[in-house]
Amino acid sequence: MGNNSRKKMYLRMITSSLIRRASRLIIAVLAIAIGATILSGLVTIYYDIPEQLGREFRSYGANLIILPSGDFGITRADIDKLKNLIGREKIVGLAPYRYQTVKINEQPYLLAGTDLHEAKQNSPFWYIEGDWQNVMIGREIAETLDLNIGDTFTVKGVKYGEQAEASKQNLSAEENKTRDFGSQNFSKKLQVKGIVTTGGAEEGFIFSDMALLNEMIADENFKADVLECSIVANAEELNELTNKISEHIPNLSPKAVRRLTQSQDIVLGKLQALVLLVTIVVLIITMISVYTTMTAMVAERRKEIALKKALGAENKFVIGELLGEGILLGFIGGAAGVFLGFEFALRVSLNVFGRGINFQWALIPITIIIFIAITVIASILPVRHVMDIHPAIVLKGE
Amino acid sequence: MFLRMILKTLARQKSKMLMIAFTVVLGVSLSTAMINVMLGVGDKVNRELKVYGANINVKHKDAAIMGELYGLGVNDKFLYEEDALKLKTIFWGFNIIDFAPILESKIILTAPGKNLRAEVPINGTWIEKHAILQTGEELNTGLRALRTWWDVKGEWISENEADLNSVMIGNSLASKYNINVGDALRLSSNNGVVKNVIVKGIYNDGGNADEAVLTNLTTAQELLNLSGKISSIEVSALTTPDNDLARKAAQNPSSLSAEEYETWYCTAYVSAICHQIQEVVRDGVARAVRQVAESEGTILNKTTLLMILITILSSIGSALAISNLITASVIERSQELGLLKALGAYNYQIILLVLAEVMLTGLAGGIVGYFLGIAFAQIIGQTVFGSYIEIAQVVILIVGIILFLVTIAGSIPAIRYLMALKPTEVLHGK
Amino acid sequence: MPILELKNVSKIYGSLRALSDINLSVNAGDWLSIMGPSGSGKTTMINIIGCMDTPSTGSVILDGVDISKENAANLTRIRRDKIGLIFQQFHLISYLTAVENVMIAQYYHSMPDEAEAMEALEKVGLRERAHHLPAQLSGGEQQRVCIARALINSPQILLGDEPTGNLDEENEGIVVDIFRRLHDEGVTIIIVTHDPEVGDVAQRKIILEHGKVIQDIDQSATFGEALKLKSKG
Repeated sequence: MGNNSRKKMYLRMITSSLIRRASRLIIAVLAIAIGATILSGLVTIYYDIPEQLGREFRSYGANLIILPSGDFGITRADIDKLKNLIGREKIVGLAPYRYQTVKINEQPYLLAGTDLHEAKQNSPFWYIEGDWQNVMIGREIAETLDLNIGDTFTVKGVKYGEQAEASKQNLSAEENKTRDFGSQNFSKKLQVKGIVTTGGAEEGFIFSDMALLNEMIADENFKADVLECSIVANAEELNELTNKISEHIPNLSPKAVRRLTQSQDIVLGKLQALVLLVTIVVLIITMISVYTTMTAMVAERRKEIALKKALGAENKFVIGELLGEGILLGFIGGAAGVFLGFEFALRVSLNVFGRGINFQWALIPITIIIFIAITVIASILPVRHVMDIHPAIVLKGE
Repeated sequence: MFLRMILKTLARQKSKMLMIAFTVVLGVSLSTAMINVMLGVGDKVNRELKVYGANINVKHKDAAIMGELYGLGVNDKFLYEEDALKLKTIFWGFNIIDFAPILESKIILTAPGKNLRAEVPINGTWIEKHAILQTGEELNTGLRALRTWWDVKGEWISENEADLNSVMIGNSLASKYNINVGDALRLSSNNGVVKNVIVKGIYNDGGNADEAVLTNLTTAQELLNLSGKISSIEVSALTTPDNDLARKAAQNPSSLSAEEYETWYCTAYVSAICHQIQEVVRDGVARAVRQVAESEGTILNKTTLLMILITILSSIGSALAISNLITASVIERSQELGLLKALGAYNYQIILLVLAEVMLTGLAGGIVGYFLGIAFAQIIGQTVFGSYIEIAQVVILIVGIILFLVTIAGSIPAIRYLMALKPTEVLHGK
Repeated sequence: MPILELKNVSKIYGSLRALSDINLSVNAGDWLSIMGPSGSGKTTMINIIGCMDTPSTGSVILDGVDISKENAANLTRIRRDKIGLIFQQFHLISYLTAVENVMIAQYYHSMPDEAEAMEALEKVGLRERAHHLPAQLSGGEQQRVCIARALINSPQILLGDEPTGNLDEENEGIVVDIFRRLHDEGVTIIIVTHDPEVGDVAQRKIILEHGKVIQDIDQSATFGEALKLKSKG
């Protein structure tokens, strides 16, 4: 009972101290909140950088190429299994490709049937003149055949499962013609919707939708020759993933694109180190300024401590009260700052990466505890010689 | 008298003013460091991104890409090796970090004492070429720096004479024919030239190159009887991310107005660099490797934006902290300042006094902080990128203005408090 | 039996002799004024009597115990139990209400008890103002809270440091009136003041100069008279 009333008085004192001095303490709370905002904001960003920038690095294109182990191609069932194995949220793009040799003006070209939407996800660096849709041709082809957007061209080829009859020199023109229009052959007029510029081998391809290709070659079965996957993962994760794929789907043979995975690790490592260093510098500086702000407010405390001592307060009481106030103050400022910091990190993420951010929930207690500690240190350290504060200073004026 | 009072307060309030100065030092050093890093980060990250290899490819204008696609036929159109070094003489030559002329063809691979005969691709190139330009500038360049992702078993071949009879082979080729480091191979071309070589290293590229043989350019030229000829040049250049102007120019540089052309030509857009390369490489067509060039732009823009936002946040943070501290410390001193009021000082005199004190303190702190900030920036540059960050003079101006505004802003609540203060309250110790 | 006895007390700060060889004895229930010009040693005297400082030489016997050799912690305990302090600047804690300011003394002493604190405020006529903050009270009211706080733990000595120094005539009267009632109840009162009117209402007045008692005046004869005058004034 007696202890209770002491506890109540203690709480009453420290809460009154904070509530009724609110207008002056706002400065301190503000300082703590700024510090906590920066801490939680930057640390959140730091932790999220590999994930966020990792996704940006996917603009370099597919980092995992999957080939069929046998001669049977990759089926839809394989792709579904694969997607589950990788984890759908990690997949930026997964485009199947089926290649077919076709002839335009008796010259051989390669037609790639794919999922155009996924191909776009995989290769955002392709520059498309016109539209990203059925049918696109590489720039080399466009230049060689002098094709522009809207022009049409005819592709000819052999249907799936049929044998092409070799052109024989001793065949007459008439016979050659029948050979070309035989039931084992196809011929289709296509319109150019887009021209692909990449500066790479793609400029020599014709790109169409998989369905269109299948229709032309009269094969209803989905069958991909290769899968290009763009996956959010670092080199190590990708290695684990390739092992897992070979193990679980033995008819697939995955291969990480070394050039991309190695380089990404190097660059991302540097960027993360940069943010880490910046975070540390910013944190040290913020903590020191929180400390200085708190200590600037200490003069009035000296007088109060002297008075309390004159009234007979022992050192431990005085320290206990300072401690209580510091904890409460640090808690309020820290809590406010954590949420502001999360808000800030979210804004940054939305602005820079156009995505939300994963919050490190553990940061809430950590930030609050750190700032309670700073506040307590900052309110006690300047008056650490509480014992030396002489009660007599309250006697005459200042 | 005014001056005397300022000096007196500064001297007497030493610890208070020191604290403000200290916070200003911290705040200013933070902002200085961050802004410098922010301004420099583009360049640094750009250099880091060079690990992705070449972003420009120079080929003969008539070379059909088809050959490359199907592995059919061999190009019979070549560029000249001597043109390669001219790359460093173009307007943006300084931005060209690395380049390697490559001669590619097919060759028959056999091995003494082994049942092996295969036609394989061969790439002859500068590995680590040391060259002296006409201008006297020295330069090291070659394929090695353009293949940072290679994992090499054994050793890289060098430009030394001894290595003219050494080769590196891709790991697919090695495992297919069970070739190990140190094995002897025989390379023979259609022209009947035969060379006996030693495998010095086996590389893992993770791409098509794993099927090929890599030699010094001279070796390949001798084998193929193509002295002084190359098929292509891989170029890695520091570029500015494309904008609308660059895209327009990439389509057709002659569609630009004279003024636009000037801007475009004098900016390190990949299209501008390509354009300039074509001016020096005979019969050459320089094309941006969009996978590298485009993606670089994306990463650079994101990184710079990220740094800008972090810089803004930390600058706001330190600005608030400084302004906060000034408010706190001026209010702490309100008694003393109130006394001046009681002695008959006008409000403006007191305000001037406070401002002058704080400004002087801020100035001193700001100067120290600026240099500390430069040091911070260099620490970051050295630690992360292993190079110095260039110091931008404009930072002084930016930080100076921010500091001035912050100091004023920090003094406002204190000034308002002082103006409302009644001398009697001070005297009666409220 | 004296409640407080100073025997050959000297206090030396460096080369300054703030108090020199003071002998003073105060009986329980006495009302003593200490007067003197600035620098005469009044403050040093109050520090020593108030258990906030110890003499360089000599002994101080408070309630039968020699406190002159005690350390700071013990002095704090003794001060808490035996001394009630009243300050010229009142020194109320600005963020605590009147009654809380009284309770804080109970808190450091033993147990806070709001009812008892209210009673103490009633004694100084401030029951209605108990839940106001110091800023909302007049100077006189603040000083009365300070007195209530000083009395709450029933100290042996009520020690005032210029208790009326910041008060106007009217409030000075009220405060002196309270002292008179306390004196009637048997409280020992020691007041340091430079206000002769306040000094004169005491039973006994000593005058310090250069750290020495130069006059020790028994005012018992005029005591009742002065009081009456004062309470009218």
